[in-house]
Amino acid sequence: MTDRQGISWLNDTGTILNFIRKLIKDLPELQEQLMDLNEGDLLFSQGDPLEHMYLVLEGNITLTRTQPDESEVKLITLGPGSFAGLIAFTTGEPTLTSGRISQKGQALKMRPQQFEQYLNDHPRLKHPLQQLMLNNMIQRYKSNLRLQTRTHLLSKELNKERNDLKKAYAQLEETHQMLVHQEKMATLGELVSGFAHEVNNPASALMRAAENLVEIYSKFESSHYSYKLFRLGLQSTPVDSNTQRNRMLMIEKRYPWIHDRSSVRKLAHMSDEALDLIDANQKKGEMDALINHYEAGKMIHNIRIASQRIANLVKSLKSYSRQDQNKEEHADIREGIQDTILVLSNRLKFIELDLKLRDIPKTCANIGDLNQVWTNIIVNACDAMKDQGKLTISTEATDDFIFVKISDSGPGIPEHLIPKIFEPNFTTKNQGAEFGLGLGLAISSEIVGQAGGEIEVTNKPGGGAQFSISIPIQDDC
Amino acid sequence: MKIFSKNHVSILIGIIGFIIPFFLSIPGLSEAGHVALSIFIIAAIFWMFEPVPIYATSIMVILLQVFFLSKQGVLFPEATAEYTPNGYTDFIGTLANPIIILFLGGFVLADAAVKYDLDKNLTRILLKPFGSKPKFIILGLMVVTGLLSAFMSNTATTAMMMTVILPIIAKTEVSDPLRIGLALSIPFAANIGGIATPIGTPPNAVVIGALSNQGIDIAFTEWMILAVPLVIVVLFVTWLVLLWMFKPETDSIPMDLKGTFQKNSSAILVYLVFGATVILWVTESLHGIGSSIIALIPVTILALTGILDKDGIRQLPWEVLWLVAGGISLGISMEGTGLAEWIITNIEWSIFSPIFMIIIFSLVAIVMSNFLSNTVSATLLIPLAVSLATSGVAGEGFSLVLISLVIGVSASLAMMLPISTPPNAIAISTGTLKTKHMTRAGLVIGLFGLIMVTLYALFYWPLILN
Amino acid sequence: MDHKIYILIVEDELEVMDALVKDLENFEAFFPVETANDTREAQEVIDYIIDHGHRIGLILCDHVLPGKNGVDLLIDLQSNKDTIKTKKVLVTGQAGHEDTILAINKAKLDHYISKPWTEKGLQEVVRNQLTDYVIENEKNLLSYMQILDAEKLSEAMRTKKMTDH
Repeated sequence: MTDRQGISWLNDTGTILNFIRKLIKDLPELQEQLMDLNEGDLLFSQGDPLEHMYLVLEGNITLTRTQPDESEVKLITLGPGSFAGLIAFTTGEPTLTSGRISQKGQALKMRPQQFEQYLNDHPRLKHPLQQLMLNNMIQRYKSNLRLQTRTHLLSKELNKERNDLKKAYAQLEETHQMLVHQEKMATLGELVSGFAHEVNNPASALMRAAENLVEIYSKFESSHYSYKLFRLGLQSTPVDSNTQRNRMLMIEKRYPWIHDRSSVRKLAHMSDEALDLIDANQKKGEMDALINHYEAGKMIHNIRIASQRIANLVKSLKSYSRQDQNKEEHADIREGIQDTILVLSNRLKFIELDLKLRDIPKTCANIGDLNQVWTNIIVNACDAMKDQGKLTISTEATDDFIFVKISDSGPGIPEHLIPKIFEPNFTTKNQGAEFGLGLGLAISSEIVGQAGGEIEVTNKPGGGAQFSISIPIQDDC
Repeated sequence: MKIFSKNHVSILIGIIGFIIPFFLSIPGLSEAGHVALSIFIIAAIFWMFEPVPIYATSIMVILLQVFFLSKQGVLFPEATAEYTPNGYTDFIGTLANPIIILFLGGFVLADAAVKYDLDKNLTRILLKPFGSKPKFIILGLMVVTGLLSAFMSNTATTAMMMTVILPIIAKTEVSDPLRIGLALSIPFAANIGGIATPIGTPPNAVVIGALSNQGIDIAFTEWMILAVPLVIVVLFVTWLVLLWMFKPETDSIPMDLKGTFQKNSSAILVYLVFGATVILWVTESLHGIGSSIIALIPVTILALTGILDKDGIRQLPWEVLWLVAGGISLGISMEGTGLAEWIITNIEWSIFSPIFMIIIFSLVAIVMSNFLSNTVSATLLIPLAVSLATSGVAGEGFSLVLISLVIGVSASLAMMLPISTPPNAIAISTGTLKTKHMTRAGLVIGLFGLIMVTLYALFYWPLILN
Repeated sequence: MDHKIYILIVEDELEVMDALVKDLENFEAFFPVETANDTREAQEVIDYIIDHGHRIGLILCDHVLPGKNGVDLLIDLQSNKDTIKTKKVLVTGQAGHEDTILAINKAKLDHYISKPWTEKGLQEVVRNQLTDYVIENEKNLLSYMQILDAEKLSEAMRTKKMTDH
């Protein structure tokens, strides 16, 4: 801007204006073209074809543009010496902006044909006007440059802000999921403790009733053959249907006079010892009565087994959810793993389980949270193996760390997905609203991280995925 | 593993029995009589031991007769001094015997009634007046069962009535003898009710068919006048016997039979046809139109209106018609060849009084049909009665119609065993009662029936027939 | 023609199997009970029974089984002419909605019993299903009157054109 070449006065808009004003005084036909600018008047509006060009002599015109979303943007304020409608005037196209008078004054209004004529008729006017136009153009170009730079800076800033926002959102999401998860676990814990109480009562009643039955039986029939049969029934184990069929064929041969199929079936259940006892006492009691003593024992045995199963399940469900102590404790991580396996026993029904839980020192950890990690990994493994295959879980320890390794015999994880699987919202499952116990590996990774440990995944050379979790051993909570 | 089953043995004995007369020369029996005897023996053995279904035996009987005894057969193309062979159409024509047509009409009507639940709805309506006291309920059930089984098959009636009484039985205490009484009342009433009309049960058809071969036609009305009074008395006594033997302990039985008469046009047509046909049948003696001719009316109307469709025709119990036709057909040659007469003349009948004859025939029919199919029993006995009458050996006072009626009615009074009749089999299979209950009650009713048949044959039937 | 109508139970937990068999004891005199612990064994048992001229009247099947699950087995049976008429009942504590819908649509599932069952409820279902089976497939219904639904059987006999022979 300091480089001022050419005729310096010509570059000064004020001088040119004075010159033009003087000319107007001299030229009556120019005076006719003068118009007053009244504040607030709309000079022209966007999209209209423009009939005049205005040279502002005094006062201000503000150019605005209406955006496609109907909002109005203020573009520029034209002061004395500026042309309004210059572009439309030159191109002959409809005007790109609206012009409103923002400060009253005076302008020179010119029609295109007249303009040519003035320039030809008054050579004195020609030069200053041309210069003025040039100045206008230069000014606008300058402001355009400034605008460009500003826009660039702005968008850079905007981008940065957007990234920050993204990060914040992701964090928020993660925190939200954590919260939901914690809430879920809390609800689960509450449910479980209520449920456990309700189920424990009938389960213990069942167990007690079974024991009482055994006692009653022993009082009535002590050292008698029927009591012996009852005891044998009590110790029996159910047989699979194939063995059952073979034994039924054997029984049919051994007792050809028994045609009643359900008696044959019951005899087939018995051990050889029981059958010998039956043979020895056949004359003393009716066959049916003998069978029934054994059956009674067997049924009580079944009650015992079933109620024990209920009790165990409830116990591990309770311990799994750790409702009572939802904070860090000095505990053996293996207990949590065992609980998790029991709780998931339904999923693991047809999976070969290989547990190599070597002795590890107790450490300070949130066992309930860690159970979530095991659950997530095991459930994922089951999914990957389609519920059939082998699951290996091992624990070991160094002086400072405990290592838990969980590996499956599934297809493994595609290499390109390995870096992503601990990211929030990563899933290979269909977007079904499945209520699972785990909320994904992201949370697992978060939980392990909170415990000061690390989680990583590799594909085993023999196939299948292996998750390795390391947790630092801490003695103080 | 057994090489020969009971069935194989029965078939073997039947065939041997069939062959033997060919190698014998029995004095007083014509050559054709020997052949007829062969056929009679194989038929009797097959019917009694049932190595094959009884209708199959009947079909075989017709074929054997056509083959050996007809004019078109291999043995008697010409008439001889002793035997004038029938044309084969006489044997196969038994399938279109008027009584067969009458039965066909009965079947079609009964089928339509079942299809539109007329039987169930009639039961519902008819049972209403009998209240809720167990003894009257039983009476009501017996009356309704008897009435329906007079026009429908005894078995179908029993099956339908079982759906009515099983819910009642289920609500009754297990120890209450009422259960047994209820379960027995239905089959007994069905057996007895079958006697009431010519179409009630196949033995009636055998009697009527045999009589019409002798030129004696019994009208529908006439049969009913003869049979209904007996039915009413036997039903009533059966009711008393059941109440006496199985005294109900509860005071009332909840009866809530649900259902409504179907009101579509087909159903209404069936009601009308059913009602009209029954009325025309029971009034035969007033208008004189034969019951077999009347029977064609419902068949025609139901076929024309599509209520009796192709499947319906296929599912008719044709085997019953074959069975009866075989029986009638056997009667033709037993008589024509002189076989029946020969069997009869070997016994000095004239020394027996008519009352003794009636008792003997009734007793034999009851005993036989306790073990054999009622129709088979009647089929085997009727030709003998016919010969007795036509040969004149039985002396005066022996009426063909009378003794045929005695046989036909007595055959339906057998109900001691589960195998006696299909209704009995249904009752026992529900598990509500034991065979001993049925035998005890059936014995009492059989004995009483024997007495009643004798009394009616001596005093009431002659009044009507003369 | 000494053909028998079998009841087949498919259940992998032996104690549960024990209890099911026990509850169906009453039916054994008429309908011998066979058992299988998984679907493969079930298929073998079915083949054996069919090959010996007998039939399967009713199959009670758990859903969660080792190998193929219960619904898959039922679908297979539905596509086999020897077992298409067999009454199919799912006895399970844990078939999801989708599996059940699949069973109804593709295996024409006849009934669903959820665990735990009651003796009375189970027997009722078995009685009803077998009654339907014999009505649809047997000529002589009389022999089943004692053990099955006698009223329904009588009604079937009423409409099945019974004669006096």
